[in-house]
Amino acid sequence: MSLVEIVLAIVKILILALFFLNMAALSTWADRRQGAMVQDRVGPNRAVVYLPNMAARAIVLLPPALFGVLAIFTSLGQVAGRAAAERFTVNVQLTILVAWFSLLVLCAKVRSGGAINRAEQVFEDVDPRSIFFAGLGVHAIGLVAGRLVPQAAWPLAAQVSGFVLGGLFLLVGLYATSRVPDGKIPLRLAGTLHALADSVKMIWKEDFIPKNADRLLHGLAPILAVFSALAVMAVIPFGNDLCFADANKNGALDFSDLGHLLATVPASGACNGLRVKLQIIDLNVGILYVFGIAGTGIIGAAIAGWASDNKFALLGGLRASSQMVSYEVAMGLSLVGLFLVYGSVRLSDMAVWQGQNAWGVFVQPLGFVLFLTALCAETKRVPFDQPEGESEIVAGYFLEYSGFKWGMFMTGEYIELVFSSALLVALFFGGYSLPFVHPDGITVAFGNTVLFQYKMTHLAVSLISALAFFGKTVFVTWVQIFFRWTLPRFRYDQLMKLGWTKLLPLAIANMMVTGVVVLALRNAGPAADSWLKLLADITQGLVAVATLAGFVALVVGLLEPVERKKFLASSAARFAAAMGGVKPEPQQA
Amino acid sequence: MEPLDRDLEEGLLELPSEPMMLNMGPSHPAMHGTVRIVLELSGEMIQKADVQIGYLHRGFEKMCERGTWSQIFPYVDRCNYVSPMLNNVGFALAVEKMLGVTVPERCQYYRVALGELARICDHMICSGAMCMELGAFTPFLYFARAREIIWDIFEEETGARVTHSFGRVGGMANPPTKYFKDMVRAGVPRVLQLISEGEKLLLKNRIFLDRLEGVGVMSKEDALALGWTGVVLRASGVPYDVRRAHPYMVYDRMEFDVPVGTTGDNYDRFMCRQEEIRQTARIIEQALDQMPDEGPINIDDPRIVLPPKQDVYTTIEATIQHFKIVMEGIKVPAGECYSYTEAGNGELGFYLVSDGSGTPYRVRIRPPCFATTQGLEQLITGLMIPDVVPTFGSLNMIGGECDH
Repeated sequence: MSLVEIVLAIVKILILALFFLNMAALSTWADRRQGAMVQDRVGPNRAVVYLPNMAARAIVLLPPALFGVLAIFTSLGQVAGRAAAERFTVNVQLTILVAWFSLLVLCAKVRSGGAINRAEQVFEDVDPRSIFFAGLGVHAIGLVAGRLVPQAAWPLAAQVSGFVLGGLFLLVGLYATSRVPDGKIPLRLAGTLHALADSVKMIWKEDFIPKNADRLLHGLAPILAVFSALAVMAVIPFGNDLCFADANKNGALDFSDLGHLLATVPASGACNGLRVKLQIIDLNVGILYVFGIAGTGIIGAAIAGWASDNKFALLGGLRASSQMVSYEVAMGLSLVGLFLVYGSVRLSDMAVWQGQNAWGVFVQPLGFVLFLTALCAETKRVPFDQPEGESEIVAGYFLEYSGFKWGMFMTGEYIELVFSSALLVALFFGGYSLPFVHPDGITVAFGNTVLFQYKMTHLAVSLISALAFFGKTVFVTWVQIFFRWTLPRFRYDQLMKLGWTKLLPLAIANMMVTGVVVLALRNAGPAADSWLKLLADITQGLVAVATLAGFVALVVGLLEPVERKKFLASSAARFAAAMGGVKPEPQQA
Repeated sequence: MEPLDRDLEEGLLELPSEPMMLNMGPSHPAMHGTVRIVLELSGEMIQKADVQIGYLHRGFEKMCERGTWSQIFPYVDRCNYVSPMLNNVGFALAVEKMLGVTVPERCQYYRVALGELARICDHMICSGAMCMELGAFTPFLYFARAREIIWDIFEEETGARVTHSFGRVGGMANPPTKYFKDMVRAGVPRVLQLISEGEKLLLKNRIFLDRLEGVGVMSKEDALALGWTGVVLRASGVPYDVRRAHPYMVYDRMEFDVPVGTTGDNYDRFMCRQEEIRQTARIIEQALDQMPDEGPINIDDPRIVLPPKQDVYTTIEATIQHFKIVMEGIKVPAGECYSYTEAGNGELGFYLVSDGSGTPYRVRIRPPCFATTQGLEQLITGLMIPDVVPTFGSLNMIGGECDH
């Protein structure tokens, strides 16, 4: 293993570890925030750091100013031909984006804090959604209108649009800075600082160890729990393979080659240079490694339960280990069908297959449901949180833990949650691939009819793929957090029954049916292949449409003005209204 | 081939084992902080359970012997802090029975309406807390939101949200407010809607049903033998409701059904409670329809009811009256009586003894959940630890009342 490979491996580990740890902190926050939301009380959003006024103004001003200057500088140089047209289009679209987004923010600020001058009063009665929809409309108009510019005017148009974009950035930055109120500015970041404060608190808390506890095992258990959660990420592919040119013609990767990323890669993804995988290590056992390491995580819980010298903790540890035994089998078997389809247990091969054909969730819907259930049980989240079962055995296996050891258990649990999402993405949601995005760019094709084609550089595709993977993981984590709070938990024997009598037979049936279908299709001939390809493309199209629709629905939902109607105005509220309507701030409520 | 272990005895194959003693409570999330159960476990199976109560004992009965009859109302509020209004009404009825007076009709309807509202609160909190302890937090919030509406009404009527101390001997502290009927008519349908929404999250949920059905079964005979009353008894199949069997106030004029269970398990207790909320809503509707808008709330007897404040400041008779009632208390004729009403979780009885002075000689309460909690040991023996949670939750044990 050469030095450059070691350095690259460390970089990759850092990327993944930072992502997982930060996501763990964020999902702790999201969990608590959601709990607070359903209870209609203040959540962790009270965590605040007060910034000096100048610092706040600088934070508001600097990024737009930087972008603005960057836009103007890049526009100073002349470009010609297609590049000019592309730059023009991108500039126009960015200008429109910046315009409607800043109007949206301004509108929200005016609605919540009031107008500070005559011009802003216009926004008091504007529905934020209309700004969003108008922005979408202008985006479309911009695309069409851009085509009308004659070819001779492209270079000029590119320059002018660049200046307009830069000017707009500067204008927005300056106006936003002028709106920063005087005095110290609270920095809340929606309460995400709470996770930080929590971890700092945990470090300084007393580390209590019960008198008769096994001190060695008591200390070892949280380490085991975190270790296994962190170690599994080694085989997760988080982006396209990067392809470098062999600049010094020595046939091996070294530091000088890293600057020479290939400009384009053919649609097949074949790389005639040096390949760097965006995966810490591409083991040939692939997913089996995940099963092996993830299974040891439960040992931490079992040891913690044993070493704590507490009967509740012991019960929790017992439950954890029995749960692991009954769900590990179903979990493994539920994926066998997937292996048959993909023809590999390597996670990188799976991602490639899903990019070229259809996502795993369409190929193996039953396998997906079974795997998701088993995964929930494996990560010990509601409704499978018997090992903790707070109303039954108080806190289960980590009952006797405090301070940072407790924090390690919690972190381990949330890393497992994020990791399980990453695994779901890698196995069932296409890994790092996006619908219709191929190594050479976007090709919207159904069967052999190509509807739309757009070539992209290797760098752009790789960036998009990595972002797609992390974005999908964040989304799946968010969905998994939703499971909590609503479902009651199983009883311990019902859980076993579900695992052994429902999940296991279903997984075996799924495996057998998949085997038969796969064999039949392999022998069906080319006609069936083309039909399958068309079906796969249709699923990709479905995903693309659903994603876009989901995005629009999300933005519209977020922009919907919140109106809370008090159902029965009590005397207190009526008196308040009579005195001029004092509405308590959310922080006070 | 012969099996290898044919000579081994069955008993030698098992490792020697002894049951594990586990102390559940009083500081345990599911024990409401007031009960301790010492469990003898084999694995997670409960072989023996010892339920120990008394962690919230405050000497309620002794406290009552110190003040006047009217000063007891705040104490009964704190017996069942989930539905204090029902306790207020129950105690007022007991004293009025000794005095031999009946409150005006308008007051009776008012008491019925307020008491039934409190019953809705009581049932919702019991069902909601049970779901929450099972891990389902969202249904609890639906129920809590519904209770909030009722508490708003109570706040408007009595000035307090939880411990109202609103009952008085011979009437109520205040007449209904101008908005009372409108508020209740607007509020109760919304409450029922919220309850239906909360139920939707539960009753089609396989996990929830599995946790309740067939768990904690109490037979009709055992329930009667233990002295169970209220919802828990009706869930076991005995249609005994004090409001129907021995109607008091104006319950004989109300049309309502008494929901009865078939098996007496946790599911039946849950469903009986939910159905009773709907029946209670019917009663409230009828009470509002029949309640006169005008008329006195308190009885017209200066020896029992405090005079209006304005008269106390302006006339000597009223001042003296006020002084006598506050300083000496209402003179209840010597004797004893037992009065019982249907409270949120069963038959709430007051056994009062008076020596003719303004102070009670003895106040004995028959808290419904005292008898209910007796049955807990029988219910959970043979079940698993997780079953303690819904079983205990479905009994609606209120610490303040059970421990007197």
